Amino acid sequence: MEEVVEEEPRLDRSPAPEDFHFYHMDLYDCEDTLQSFPEGNTRLRRETVQAEGGPGQAGEGQAQRDLQEVNEFIHLYGLEDDHELGDEFLDEDRMGRSAYPPYGLKRREPAREQRDWRLGEEDEAEDQGYAGWGMAGQSQALQEAYRYTHGRASEEYECYVIPEEEDEEEAADVFCVTCRTPIRGVEKDIDEHKEHEVTPLNKALESAKDEIHKNMYKLEQQIIEMENFASHLEEVFITVEENFGRQEQNFESHYNEILETLAQKYEEKIQALGEKKKEKLEALYGQLVSCGENLNTCKELMETIEEICHEEKVDFLKDAVAMTDRLGKFLKTKTDVEISAQPHFEDQTLDFSDVEQLMGSMNTIPAPSAPVINPQAPNSATGSSVRVCWSLYSDDTVESYWLSYRPVQDSPPGKDQEEFTVTVKETYCSVTNLEPNTQYEFWVIAKNRAGPSPSSEHAVYMTAPSPPVIKTEAIRSCEEAVLICWESGNLNPVDSYTVELTQVEMPATSGVTESVVGIPTCESLIQLQPGQSYTICVRALNVGGPSARSEPATVCTTGSYFPLNKATCHPWLNISEDGFMVIRSERKSLTREPLPSQTQFTRCVAVMGNLIPVRGRHYWEVEVDECLDYTVGVAFEDVPKQEDLGANGLSWCMKHTFAASRHKYEFLHNRTTPDIRITVPPKKIGILLDYENSKLSFFNVDIAQHLYTFSCQLHRFVHPCFSLEKPGYLKICNGISMPMHATFY
Amino acid sequence: MALKQISSNKCFGGLQKVFEHESVELKCKMKFAVYLPPKAETGKCPALYWLSGLTCTEQNFISKSGYHQAASEHGLVVIVPDTSPRECHIKGEDDSWDFGTGAGFYVNATEDPWKTNYRMYSYVTEELPQLINANFPVDPQRMSIFGHSMGGHGALICALKNPGKYKSVSAFAPICNPVLCPWGKKAFTGYLGTDESKWKTYDATHLVTSYPGSQLDILIDQGKDDQFLSDGQLLPDNFIAACTEKKIPVVFRLQEGYDHSYYFIATFIADHIRHHAKYLNA
Repeated sequence: MEEVVEEEPRLDRSPAPEDFHFYHMDLYDCEDTLQSFPEGNTRLRRETVQAEGGPGQAGEGQAQRDLQEVNEFIHLYGLEDDHELGDEFLDEDRMGRSAYPPYGLKRREPAREQRDWRLGEEDEAEDQGYAGWGMAGQSQALQEAYRYTHGRASEEYECYVIPEEEDEEEAADVFCVTCRTPIRGVEKDIDEHKEHEVTPLNKALESAKDEIHKNMYKLEQQIIEMENFASHLEEVFITVEENFGRQEQNFESHYNEILETLAQKYEEKIQALGEKKKEKLEALYGQLVSCGENLNTCKELMETIEEICHEEKVDFLKDAVAMTDRLGKFLKTKTDVEISAQPHFEDQTLDFSDVEQLMGSMNTIPAPSAPVINPQAPNSATGSSVRVCWSLYSDDTVESYWLSYRPVQDSPPGKDQEEFTVTVKETYCSVTNLEPNTQYEFWVIAKNRAGPSPSSEHAVYMTAPSPPVIKTEAIRSCEEAVLICWESGNLNPVDSYTVELTQVEMPATSGVTESVVGIPTCESLIQLQPGQSYTICVRALNVGGPSARSEPATVCTTGSYFPLNKATCHPWLNISEDGFMVIRSERKSLTREPLPSQTQFTRCVAVMGNLIPVRGRHYWEVEVDECLDYTVGVAFEDVPKQEDLGANGLSWCMKHTFAASRHKYEFLHNRTTPDIRITVPPKKIGILLDYENSKLSFFNVDIAQHLYTFSCQLHRFVHPCFSLEKPGYLKICNGISMPMHATFY
Repeated sequence: MALKQISSNKCFGGLQKVFEHESVELKCKMKFAVYLPPKAETGKCPALYWLSGLTCTEQNFISKSGYHQAASEHGLVVIVPDTSPRECHIKGEDDSWDFGTGAGFYVNATEDPWKTNYRMYSYVTEELPQLINANFPVDPQRMSIFGHSMGGHGALICALKNPGKYKSVSAFAPICNPVLCPWGKKAFTGYLGTDESKWKTYDATHLVTSYPGSQLDILIDQGKDDQFLSDGQLLPDNFIAACTEKKIPVVFRLQEGYDHSYYFIATFIADHIRHHAKYLNA
């Protein structure tokens, strides 16, 4: 049983504990567990029935096999011999107990199937299955034996147990593809499955699983798609709401405007009409008054004439003549009977053109909203131009943009800088003719025929810097590295510098460029390959982008290459134009010895070279005159400048003195020298500084003769030193690869 | 010309061996030591000959100088012959330590009774190199020579008498001008007779004056507290003056506090082996 128990915890979920419950149940009679069984069993049985198509077949063949398995099982665990087992069968008590196991074991089967389904661990499942079968088989065999030996009493029991058993015993082991149902192997040659295509159950299981996985995958995909679509719909929904809301506002404002305009026009018209009316009425009234006056005059005249008619003849005549004159005069004054004002008013056309225009503009666009100006994109600027970009709201219609800018200046806030404005159609503009490494403030206004937008935010763009200028005269190099310095080339600070290296090789393989980026200062020590030639350029960088390349400098990693440090040069020494000749002229009586100094040699007439601060090996040569008094060697930068070279612990040098036609060679450090005699005065001295082995060696270059080697602790970097004790000159030879013979020291 | 191995000891990866052979030149049995560096297992190496000083055998150098490490690193076969013929039973050969046995002076004797056996010059420049070239993995084109005291004298004259034969030469406290020093006078008189013109053909300082100027880089170390220096046996200044005159490159290092012993040799042996390696391995 051990094997089974061990395996059980690895099964899925509940079945394992239930197995244990089974055994306990028998002892403690746990009701809960008992009740759970019938339910489980019926379910199981149903499954089995479905699976096998007919339970009837299962019986005998299965029983045979099971019996065999039981024996194997017993052998396996060394329980009893066959005949002993037989004896055991007689024990009724034991029978009763051991008859139960099938419940538990059966319970495990679905678990196994489930696990198969999920994990596909076939081997284990089979093992497990075998153990399960074994147990089941054993119990069945026991029952059969029981049935065989006992009579009715046991049959009751059998009735209770067996039906469950038989159904569940029969597990399908092949799959009929045609009927799409699992069947037992023995069935495949009989009945309806005879002609059908069958596959092993496991295979069928696999393919069914695959199928379901595929479908699940498809469904998942579909779910994702649907979700995406739903969120898209939501977006569209929101957009529609926004758009329509905006349009509503737009309409509202327009119609209000139109209504206002109409009201205003109405007022104007009404007022004009009233004035006209008043004017006409006044005119008519005036005419009426004057008409009445005329009438009175006429009446008066008539009365007068009637009176005259009643007078005496003489009087009549006399009066008549006067009357006639008066009448004549009166009649001569024309009576105005024309109506001065017409009752109707002049036909005035109503002018609705402005309203029409308003109406017309209704369906077109509103003025755009303020564009959004983008921050400066990296590497988009040059030394004289920037590329400014902005965006508009998607609903806006824009005909053009006004892009304005002015340089940002911290100093005088009151003083307005000159502003520039350009008109562009696109949403970007390359603004040129700008100052390098300078900040400019940009803002943009969109416009269409409805008018201009408000201004965008102001954005600061920066032009790229001017290219730096390499100090070619200060380049120091050795076989492994170069120390390169440059002038910024810009008044304002830049963010960093980039050094670009191109190996000068055969034309076919050229063009490989290495870059050293993010250099904060105006110098950089760069590792190189020995014996190569490099072209080196420097760019300055700021947020706007990189500057153009500097003028290139060429560096050869053959030997060491160092310039002389003019600041250390004794005033009596001159350095030639090419920088590699140290000359001491005939004593100038005018120049007195200089005052002591930290940097300048004041006692020995010397100059120091600027060797690259790289540990490793450095080799250089000095051409000397055989009869010249000179000292060559190395010293720390802070060697006392008012002392002779070799007169302290900070310098190591070879000193030549020529006196009384004798050459004296000293190898001085701390004022001491070994006693060394050299028969051939060197014309060219090779000096090998070897940090790795803490050695400084001197050679007679022409005959490859080793002269002397100092062992010196060089815990810091040293520099070459050259001194002339008498008028003459030394020639320094740089960029020489170390000769073979020197490699032995 | 059969070689008889006397001893063989592993040392710094190589083998320090001693052989004995029947010398044709010297007409006696001679021993010599050979150091074979590890490199000699796979290819031919340059040969460096060491000539010892008065009273020495092949043993002194190989046991006292500590040259093996440097020779091993530079891959040099180092050959150390004895300093004179042995057991020739010449009357007076063992009478003094600075003449006869152990004091061959690297000359070919012309006087009786020495002229039959005492042909050390030919032995070290002809017979021994031929023997070495024939029996050991050495490159005959690459050989150099150095020595101490009398052997320093020997090394210098071998190099100066055979321009181009040796790639380089060096010496520890050599007898630079034997014609003028007591040792030299005694030995040359005995081996070469009283004709001093014959002496000069074995005198380094004199040989320099007639040296044809083939490239030769000479390294000489000299202890400052060497009693034979103050006794006037070594006379390096004469040699330096001659070399300066003839522009023969010499670096002469007067080493403060050192004497004539093998302690002095052991101190600077590495410099000398490097000096030779520079030319032999170039």
